[in-house]
Amino acid sequence: MAKLGVEICGVSFKNPVIAASGTYGFGREFDEVYDISAIGGISTKGMTLLPRNGNPVPRIAEAHGVILNAVGLQNPGVEHFIAEDLSFLKEKGVAVIANVAGSTLEDYGKMCARLDGLVDMVELNISCPNVRAGGMALGIKPENIEEVTALSKSNLKKTPLIVKLSPNVESIPTNAKAAERGGADCISLVNTFTGMVIDLEKRRPIIANNTGGVSGAGIKPIALRMVYEASHAVNIPVIGMGGIMTGRDALEFMMAGAKAVQVGTANFADVNAMPRIIAEMNDWLDAHGVRDVNDIVDTLKLN
Amino acid sequence: MKELISTVKEVKLIADNVYSLTVTLPEPVGKVRGGQFLNISTGDSSRLLKRPLGIVKAEGCFVTVCFQVKGEGTKALAEARTGDKLSVLLPLGNGFILPESAKNIVVIGGGVGIFPLVPVICGNGDKNFYTYIGFRNKGCACLLDEFEKSAKLTIVTDDGSMGERDNAVNAYLKDRENVKADLIIACGPPVMLRALKTQLKEKGIDTPCLVSLEERMGCGIGACLVCVCDKSDGTKARVCKDGPVFNIDEVEL
Repeated sequence: MAKLGVEICGVSFKNPVIAASGTYGFGREFDEVYDISAIGGISTKGMTLLPRNGNPVPRIAEAHGVILNAVGLQNPGVEHFIAEDLSFLKEKGVAVIANVAGSTLEDYGKMCARLDGLVDMVELNISCPNVRAGGMALGIKPENIEEVTALSKSNLKKTPLIVKLSPNVESIPTNAKAAERGGADCISLVNTFTGMVIDLEKRRPIIANNTGGVSGAGIKPIALRMVYEASHAVNIPVIGMGGIMTGRDALEFMMAGAKAVQVGTANFADVNAMPRIIAEMNDWLDAHGVRDVNDIVDTLKLN
Repeated sequence: MKELISTVKEVKLIADNVYSLTVTLPEPVGKVRGGQFLNISTGDSSRLLKRPLGIVKAEGCFVTVCFQVKGEGTKALAEARTGDKLSVLLPLGNGFILPESAKNIVVIGGGVGIFPLVPVICGNGDKNFYTYIGFRNKGCACLLDEFEKSAKLTIVTDDGSMGERDNAVNAYLKDRENVKADLIIACGPPVMLRALKTQLKEKGIDTPCLVSLEERMGCGIGACLVCVCDKSDGTKARVCKDGPVFNIDEVEL
């Protein structure tokens, strides 16, 4: 049995496998299938300051090796989370990462101030279209990333800040550095790739929103490259994700430089994906005589 | 609810482009309520999503679902062979919860929407079912033996190739003076459910009515908020977890 515990920004995770935001709700539904105490952490459903109803349906489509979603941040609001879900997750003993999304720059500051000291980490979702950035996501241009990171950080006195990077950008290293300059304690990537799936007979996109975020096994090679780039551009820790379906996938991300990983779409394909991935990681480490998962981090040898 | 590795027992073409799939589970399925569904992998590993299908029959270790081939995923399922291993998550959703007091139940089904109604009729022998089902044409008709268990069965088709040329909602409305219903249950295409809601309101029929909805799903257990429907109070409900069966008055159709 290898040592699987990891520490990121002073926060302990019993293993490096974290539920990715938006695929795991607030943990309650998966806890009906298995005891979610087994996982390292949970990044909550993306929350906004006020409740949001999200996009019209259909919100999901499928293509070869991937899915697309456009849920549109349906969520009960940050106050509901604090009142109804936070204590449940704390009792489960999983690291709680509050994923927050703002309609305005100010929203990020307000949510961070409200969550400071209540959760283990805050993760900024800066991929949603934002009024301040002229309708463009705050996470596209480095100057916007630095600004929203700095404002969020100034409202967090106790809780470490993760900035979740969008892959739909010009340069991952540039944006990773912008988050670091803004004061991020950690970076996570990748969020979903914007894509489209068309119903040929109806001559329309399947998703009501027309476009959706692409995730799942098919994006893994691109995500791995981006995680490698980000982790070698900054000195702060990186959490990797993008198409992780197996323990081997997770270890590849850690080898590329990630200190932990997030698992999202795999939870749809296999409701028990996270405990399985944790077991598979342990099996590989044992089989290769690696006693501590931390020893795998950033051990990739380039050709 | 649990995830199990099932073994394909039989795949059968039961109507035009419609298949019945029976799988064997490694353990008895337990109590399944009519209207509940399962999530099943397609056997094509490039398809990450399981397919949500209404449970038609659940007995011991055997579970049967029926489906229409609509895309690549259902095509792969239709091509499954005896012995293939498919992962299933079941049972999911609330199903039709029939009040003890409801003795005479009107069942309205359209097209492939008839499937979740089968176990309701077959599993509640103490109730009288007055069933009205509609198909596009004779070639689309299936599972008629199961529906014969109804106290009264009316079959209609869009083109008159089987039964009268009519739709299931109209067939009930024409006959409703002859049926003292305590409850109406329905499943079918959105246009059928919308017509039912409109007609019940216009004709002042206040019989309680439960409808089963269909939506593209992600996780199937209520976590991802992909398969939502609009509730009459302006909020959203999860079709997979809060449904798929709703009171017709509480949802926008």
